[in-house]
Amino acid sequence: MLTISKLSKSYGETTVLREVDFFMKAGERVALMGPSGSGKSTLLNCISGIDRPDSGRIELEGKSIVEMEERELCELRRDSISTIFQFFHLLPTLSVRENIEFPLQLLGVPEKERHERLADLVGEVQLKHRADAMPDELSGGERQRVAIARALATRPALILADEPTGNLDSTTGESVLELLESVSERYQTAMLLVTHSPDVTGICQRTVHMRDGEIVENE
Amino acid sequence: MNSAISEPVRLIWSRIIWRQWRRAPKVPSVLVVILALGVAVYLSVRLANRAAVTGFSLFTESISGDSDLLLRPKAGTFREADLPQLRDAMGAVPASMFPILDTTAAEGPGSESPIFRIIGTDFVALPNAAYLSESDAGSPVETTQKGFAGLLGRSDLVYISESYAAEKQIGEGDSIRIYIEGAALQLSVAGVLKNDPLRPQIPHRLLVLDLPGAQKLTGNEGLISRVEIRIPPGPDYQKNLDLAMARLNDWGSERFVIETPGQRKDSATQMSAAFRLNLTILSTLALIVGAYLILQAMEASVIQRRSEIAILRCLGVTPRQIQKAWLVESAILGLLGSLLGVILGLGLAQGMVRAIASTVNTLYYETTTSSASFHLGEIGVAFVFGTLVSLLAGWLPAREAASTPPAHAANSGARGGGLKLLQKPLPGILLMVIATGFAFLPPWIPEGGGPVALGGYHSAFCFLLGLSILAGSLFRVVAKFLKGRGNDPQRNYAASQFRLPEGRHRLAAAGLLAAFGMSAAMGILVASFETTLNAWIRQMLKADIYIAAPGAQSSISENKIPESVWKTLVDRPGIEGVDRLRRYQISLAGKDTYLAGADYNQSGRTLQLIWVDPPVNRSADALEAMVGNDLHPAWISEGFARQYQKRRGDRFKLPTPEGAKKVEVSGIYADYGSERGTVLVSRKYTSVWFDDSSLNNIAIYLESGVDEEAWLANLQKSFPGVVARTNRHLRDDALRLFRQTFSVTYALEGIAVVIAVAGLGLAMVGLLLERMVELGTLKELGMTRRQIAKAAMWEGLGLSITGIVGGLILSLILGWILVYVVNRQSFGWTLNYEIPWVSIAALSAAMLATGGFVAWLVGYRIANLRSDLVDRSTFEADR
Repeated sequence: MLTISKLSKSYGETTVLREVDFFMKAGERVALMGPSGSGKSTLLNCISGIDRPDSGRIELEGKSIVEMEERELCELRRDSISTIFQFFHLLPTLSVRENIEFPLQLLGVPEKERHERLADLVGEVQLKHRADAMPDELSGGERQRVAIARALATRPALILADEPTGNLDSTTGESVLELLESVSERYQTAMLLVTHSPDVTGICQRTVHMRDGEIVENE
Repeated sequence: MNSAISEPVRLIWSRIIWRQWRRAPKVPSVLVVILALGVAVYLSVRLANRAAVTGFSLFTESISGDSDLLLRPKAGTFREADLPQLRDAMGAVPASMFPILDTTAAEGPGSESPIFRIIGTDFVALPNAAYLSESDAGSPVETTQKGFAGLLGRSDLVYISESYAAEKQIGEGDSIRIYIEGAALQLSVAGVLKNDPLRPQIPHRLLVLDLPGAQKLTGNEGLISRVEIRIPPGPDYQKNLDLAMARLNDWGSERFVIETPGQRKDSATQMSAAFRLNLTILSTLALIVGAYLILQAMEASVIQRRSEIAILRCLGVTPRQIQKAWLVESAILGLLGSLLGVILGLGLAQGMVRAIASTVNTLYYETTTSSASFHLGEIGVAFVFGTLVSLLAGWLPAREAASTPPAHAANSGARGGGLKLLQKPLPGILLMVIATGFAFLPPWIPEGGGPVALGGYHSAFCFLLGLSILAGSLFRVVAKFLKGRGNDPQRNYAASQFRLPEGRHRLAAAGLLAAFGMSAAMGILVASFETTLNAWIRQMLKADIYIAAPGAQSSISENKIPESVWKTLVDRPGIEGVDRLRRYQISLAGKDTYLAGADYNQSGRTLQLIWVDPPVNRSADALEAMVGNDLHPAWISEGFARQYQKRRGDRFKLPTPEGAKKVEVSGIYADYGSERGTVLVSRKYTSVWFDDSSLNNIAIYLESGVDEEAWLANLQKSFPGVVARTNRHLRDDALRLFRQTFSVTYALEGIAVVIAVAGLGLAMVGLLLERMVELGTLKELGMTRRQIAKAAMWEGLGLSITGIVGGLILSLILGWILVYVVNRQSFGWTLNYEIPWVSIAALSAAMLATGGFVAWLVGYRIANLRSDLVDRSTFEADR
């Protein structure tokens, strides 16, 4: 589903990714670990098309991301890849319902279908009773649940999660991980989770370690 | 940077702010230029105002040099034969007297022809003036360094000004043509008066003759306009001056105005106080607008540097130090802007002084100034004002910078900005209540001056501020409107911003509201004026042909049509009836005003005055019959009623050469021709009081079937020295002049919209920069650059709609204040309230289109910034 080959990226004289080779199967959950500065976030940025590699290939479901134009990258992020952030990044002026619905609107999903998916997702993340709340009225765990629901809304093939539990206490973190695992199973969505936490690896089938821009271990 | 500025402040300034300036010099440069323009406009208006006041007839009011006292009749001229009585009244007080005839002639035949000031002075006595002063060489007329032999009694030899000689390329021995009492006359130049830097500037169009010559030339034999009195210098100077003043007052205070040149200047220039105040307020607005833009731009720059500030806070820099550093930035911007503004202002003042002097000459009094001079006090005020305004504008962003918490997490998106004052409706409601109270205050009348609508100005300011605060209440409605059915994600996202509006939203909307409101209010004033003037002209002008002396447009014109001319003129065939008018300038209660004598056509068709308070008898001969013993009926203009606080039924005395005459106000009429005010009585009386049968204006009603154009052409052939126009031409000329006067307001409206939209653009920069992380999220969700720009456009449109709706409400209120309070109190004119809906719709469309476009542009540009990467790296310092 995702194939990365010989991916390199430098910022000035600093090489951040060195000929990285990596792959993921559909519905697979992979943990990406490594010390700060090892290139995890740059790899994520390259996969989502936010950053352009200097060389190498990235293919998602057979389509080459590296060769995509800005418009195609936007489309890619709209329907194939979603991202979950450590700091949630909910749109602060939109309610829970509107935050989840937003990417569907961007995708042009008809109103009826949007409402059906929305009902399904708020149920999935157990936030039916908070659907009209604003982000600043939610706890950290609730916010991350909204972010997960938003990421799932477009039924993407791949979810990139950047330290999804990094800003949560351990109990909340645990429940978020359970949720990620269950939705990944249910929607058959692949997940690449950047993490420092061994707990995250517990829900993943594979853990990949990075150091100095290279994949050093693939277990 | 002085010692009060601590090391951290210096470091912040030099390492962060200054480096930012060097990296992106455009922003500070634009801010300096904006502020400089504000300071320049402010300074130039102040300098031009000062010049218009200081240039008040100084030359012609002191022909004998530095005169100590001026004596002039309260109405008309007085006889030379009265001079011995004046001398007797002075007794043994040592004083020299210089009689002056001061009148006018036209340069050309048209009604808008420039006016020559004609000064007749005693060429025999004048050389003695040199011995009367320690400070100067005597009369400015002596500057030719030539004796007066051969000029005595001559009415065909004149001195002209140096500037006029240069303009026309003429000199001694050349001839010039002037128009007096309807006739063209040829005069010979006897000499050229040279400007002396130590003396007041010589008026451009000035003709100086020997007194008997001037009297003969202008048909004023035996008459003089005033006497300049000079007291010899010495230890008893003040005592003699006081004594002379006391004796003159005892002798003739009933008939004459006795004043020092300084008092004369004050009383004359007070008339234009309201006009000058209006200009100063407008120029201050330019500076405030500059401050608004600085505020917006500095806020945007604080947001851009927030992460740096957060790091500084982590490093132990105190909020106070951060605030100081940013205040230093605004102070430096202010100093640079003010410096440049002063330089620009000095240049701009030269152009401004001509425009203001021309208006002052037409409406109020003669001012000879053609250039503004370097005035250190005014420059200092403008410089300090500009710097203070910049500091004030910088205060809010500086406070915001200081409130940044240590290690401010860029992703938490601390939203805010804008004035806290704008976030609560209560101050807005309170201000509206106060504003309503101000609107009903009576005018402030400074001593010897005309009324100033201070209450009206305060009311307008409070309404503006109050509605700006309340503008935020409209956001909820705007959000609903923007969202529509909620299917467009960009509109949805934009609408959601108004649910939790930031201070910056409120500030931007307030700026748009103020700009739209003031522009539309100005439009309402102009439309009200134009509609009223149109109606007034339509009702007033019922005659077919209007005749006037040349140069009738000028406030100083004393040109008239002599009896010999107008009698022949009205005897021409084809005339059904005639209205005649003679106007005199008089001094009443220390202020200059007009007394007019009229006699109206009694054939049925006649002048139709618009009544503010109508008389019982409105017939054409209503002013002829006495209303009591020595009591004459008078109609007064609205402006006169306001200046002198008179109502129908009031009685007062009018000064005339025949002594004071008692009149009773029997009606008050609207008059948009002059704000000085007019007392209208029957010409039957004024011709006796002033011993004068000449006229200023004649209205002719032609018999039916007479072709007015052909009749007019015949008249002009026989009387080339008078100005004659058909009814239609006169109406067209009046409206053309009106539109010309107000054309500047349209330019001001355009500038206001441009500035407001620039403010909106800067506000959008601030709003979007602050939401960079959010924009990053939008991109992660798949939004394209164009979609983000479109969302910004909808947000900009939302702000514009708020500004327009609030501005419309403001304009209706401000328009009401301008029409019914400011205008009525300052100028005494009642106008019909007229809303120019088409212009307002066009203004709204322009503001919406430009507002939407600017916001789209800002959104498109900012959407392309890659700070999403930077922000992501701050979440996890990992690459």
